Amino acid sequence: MLKNHRGWLLLATALLLQALPTGQVFAQSSDSPPPNTQSSYDQSQDPEAIKPVPVLQTSAAFQTVFDAGETHIHPLLTPVLLVPFGSRWLFEARGTFESDLAQQPGVSGFHGVVQKEEEYAQLDFIASPYMTVTVGRFLTPFGIFNERLYPVWIRNLASDPLTLPIGIGPSNASTGAMIRGGFKANEHFNINYAVYYSTLLTVSPMDSNRFAGGRAGIFIPKARLEIGGSYQHLLQDDHSNLFGFHMAWQPPKLPLNLRAETARSSVGSGYWVESVYGLTQVPFAQNQLRHTQVVARMQQFFTGPVPANSVLPVNTNMFEFGVNYYFMDGLRAMSSYGRQFAPQGNGNVWTLALTYRLVTPLGRGEVQ
Amino acid sequence: MKNRKAAFAATFTLLASSLVTAIAQDQKNTPPAPNPASSPNQQLAALAVPANSRPASTDKPSSPPEAARASGIHDNRALRLEGEKRFQANCGRCHMAPPKFPPRAMATILRHMRVRALITDEDRRLILRYMTE
Repeated sequence: MLKNHRGWLLLATALLLQALPTGQVFAQSSDSPPPNTQSSYDQSQDPEAIKPVPVLQTSAAFQTVFDAGETHIHPLLTPVLLVPFGSRWLFEARGTFESDLAQQPGVSGFHGVVQKEEEYAQLDFIASPYMTVTVGRFLTPFGIFNERLYPVWIRNLASDPLTLPIGIGPSNASTGAMIRGGFKANEHFNINYAVYYSTLLTVSPMDSNRFAGGRAGIFIPKARLEIGGSYQHLLQDDHSNLFGFHMAWQPPKLPLNLRAETARSSVGSGYWVESVYGLTQVPFAQNQLRHTQVVARMQQFFTGPVPANSVLPVNTNMFEFGVNYYFMDGLRAMSSYGRQFAPQGNGNVWTLALTYRLVTPLGRGEVQ
Repeated sequence: MKNRKAAFAATFTLLASSLVTAIAQDQKNTPPAPNPASSPNQQLAALAVPANSRPASTDKPSSPPEAARASGIHDNRALRLEGEKRFQANCGRCHMAPPKFPPRAMATILRHMRVRALITDEDRRLILRYMTE
């Protein structure tokens, strides 16, 4: 226990020290348009001439989960390092330090171990406006949640979707190479794509499966609608095919965000639909409500013919409702209630969480 | 079973009511449609290219400095508006609008988002210009 405390103390100290060198940290905004900051530069200068600087982004969370009568405490720290080289290269890496602290019989207090994971470490080469080549360990682009919505400061509900383990590999990542890009197809829509190959790696917790796959999507900027599909073929075990579809829609001028994903594989299938509504247009109590958003998510999971440890063992339905409140830039309180229905019994899941995200340039951020 | 139906109905009602409310508010708040001729996408796409790499205009071969300055201001304003639009459309797909970071950090973050979120090169240029002004 003492060792764990010492570990968290070290992490917290490292986090605080990270903010010291520049004297400034920058966090995520809640809902207002970006304010003008102290970091302006000569507007006549071409933005393309700005030399990028390495950036360390850190997100932290403290979650308390009441799951079927048991209390769990989840502290989480996730640093993301971005190191640009020249005009076309970028090295990016993300690690996670987290723990699941729970009460143990006969022992007072909460106990658990700190788990460390290197989630991805990839090198990107921007070959052309249409194509980027990535090598290393990267988040598997199957659906949109794993790549885009997973970070704790982005997600609107603390829990993962039930279908998340489908198609992303044993540790949410792939080891190999990927080609990806996004381009404007015509005046009305953009196309984005990702094609990847992953090799078998059995070194835990950086293990990955051997598979190949791709994802393609269409984004209609005017409607702010994105739809797309994912495909993956396993090159090991049962050599099965996996399919997925995703949708995201933010109606212009509305604080509404609708997202949905479906996945189908031999180990299981399912879908989730999430609606997030910001209360910025409610005509009363504007000071409080404009920082508040209401979240609802429904999801179903069905087991497949091939058993797997990565997914739930039984058919499960889950409904969740949440209310989130942004105190300030990047600092958010989350609360949610979920009801899970499964053959072995139904259960309630209550979650309370605080999330924070800050960005630190590792060098002079201003243009000389 | 009864609980499941009730939870399903409650979730569906919440999803449907948020959608209906949003559409109602959209109809209520929709401003008059802008003049499409005032912001053609082709012009903005050309503006997104760095100024020093753009060919000189052939319409007015010898503009006076005042006109050139006014034209530059107009260009900057159009770019800023378009950059804000692209910013809202692309960044809002996944997360809340972030604040402006220092320009060099912003350049790194946009390079990262180009890879992660697959935004187009044109969108990246416009958003970078908007976020560093």
